Amino acid sequence: MLGRCISAEWMKLRYSHIWAILVALPVISVLIGCANFYMNQGVLTKEWYSLWSQVGLFYGEFFLPILIAICCAYIWRLEHLNKNWNMILAAPVPSAGIFLAKWIVVGVLLILVQAFFVLLYFIGGKTLGLNAGLPQELPGWLLRGWTAGLTISSVQLARSMRIRSFAVPVGMGLCAIFIGLGMYVARLGLFFPHSLLTVGMGVLSQTGLSCGENPVFWLMNILYIGVINTGAIWRMRKHDRVA
Amino acid sequence: MSEIIATYNLSKRYGDACRVKNVNLSVREGEIYGFLGPNGAGKTTTLKMILGLTRPTAGRVTVFGKGLEQNRRFILSQTGSLIESPSYYGHLTGLENMRVVQRLRDVPDRNVEEALRIVRLEKQKDRKVAQYSLGMKQRLGIAMALMSFPKLLILDEPTNGLDPAGIGEIRELIKALPQRYDMTVVISSHLLSEIEQTATSIGIIHEGMMLFQGSLEALKNEKLPTILVKTQNNALAQELLARKGYLPARDGDFLAFENLGDDQVAMLNRILVECGMDVLRIEERKKNLERIFLDMTGKGGSL
Repeated sequence: MLGRCISAEWMKLRYSHIWAILVALPVISVLIGCANFYMNQGVLTKEWYSLWSQVGLFYGEFFLPILIAICCAYIWRLEHLNKNWNMILAAPVPSAGIFLAKWIVVGVLLILVQAFFVLLYFIGGKTLGLNAGLPQELPGWLLRGWTAGLTISSVQLARSMRIRSFAVPVGMGLCAIFIGLGMYVARLGLFFPHSLLTVGMGVLSQTGLSCGENPVFWLMNILYIGVINTGAIWRMRKHDRVA
Repeated sequence: MSEIIATYNLSKRYGDACRVKNVNLSVREGEIYGFLGPNGAGKTTTLKMILGLTRPTAGRVTVFGKGLEQNRRFILSQTGSLIESPSYYGHLTGLENMRVVQRLRDVPDRNVEEALRIVRLEKQKDRKVAQYSLGMKQRLGIAMALMSFPKLLILDEPTNGLDPAGIGEIRELIKALPQRYDMTVVISSHLLSEIEQTATSIGIIHEGMMLFQGSLEALKNEKLPTILVKTQNNALAQELLARKGYLPARDGDFLAFENLGDDQVAMLNRILVECGMDVLRIEERKKNLERIFLDMTGKGGSL
């Protein structure tokens, strides 16, 4: 059942402009990050780690959450237009299937984006003449970044499902970035979706999570995803929708 | 014949406005049920409640004899629908739009081809739907509803946006569905002529209330015919009859009487004859459906 929903969802992404966003935003973050690194080589002496601090800052802190918000808004916009709600709600599939299919599709897109980003990071580093080996924390950053990305996707999908406007949920996502930054500074980074991304990808501090923090990180992600997805599906079942 | 759709005191309230009030709708197997009402009468809201797209504030719905809430997926798997205006993804081609529905409904490829052929969109199937005309989108919507060749087909204003040839074609298609594919069809319209030519059974809704439900024949017999009387001197006759409590209207050479039973007609005749007034004609005029429909829903009520 879920498989059918996912394959229908995948079909809808054909010829879509969303692919341009998925490519452009990582490229922009890596370009800005590399330029910053190049111009400040005097202070940024830790090779790949320093490059990550620059590239990751723009990507993990700003462009990735924005990319997720746009992606989620787009994927619901398809249904908000042309009375498509009537069609998907009259299809013999459970409401959970419709929501989860969208969430999983966004998750798959995020894997592609993460992979593309790390490739750009590698190319950028080599172009800048870094010779040391890649940081061993890199896979962990990517995996935790993806997981936090899934949490943010849940939040943004739930918002974009309710709000017909494309821009409003994206704007709310932008606000959440700054709230997340505040939470991180206040050392509450493990308790807010957007700062989970900051923490998980190690963009502001590359020291990694302590043994105590690591389980909290995973637990908070699972908790957020579980609660928000369940809430959104419940809402879809219980509330009338104006197509 | 078993009952395919039944609603029991179905009501929908938005804030203070009651959009649908105590509607008891009944559709039997193999029927083409015409759901008729002026714009804003509550047709779409009722159909949406039957499909579970909108939750009723009171009352309940059964489809195929099963409660909607508990058997939603089973019912939807046997039901094709086109509600409000057609749903489509404009950036995809007609065929790809069909594929989206195909995947959601899990039907074989030949159903897709067959449905496109029936609505005659095979040649346009590789064009982006954003470039389709309204009529073509409507055809695509009908093809999507037909795709699984469901037991129950619900089409909300199916001929919207079609040209006269297209309207005729879709009308013939709808008429053929019950025999060819064993379907039960519900169509809604605000045009009596549309329903009159296709439906075997009709329901008339106005301001959220069901005013009539039954066959077209029963609707025609719902109202007593108008009685027309012609006499030697209509003016004098009118005066005479007014004294006895009859209040006819002048209608050309005739006096027209509404809602008269046979006894009253005989009495009227006797009064005139006894007064020495020659009665030249007594005729009855059946009301046409248009007239009955307008009387029911009120000319002022339609938007």
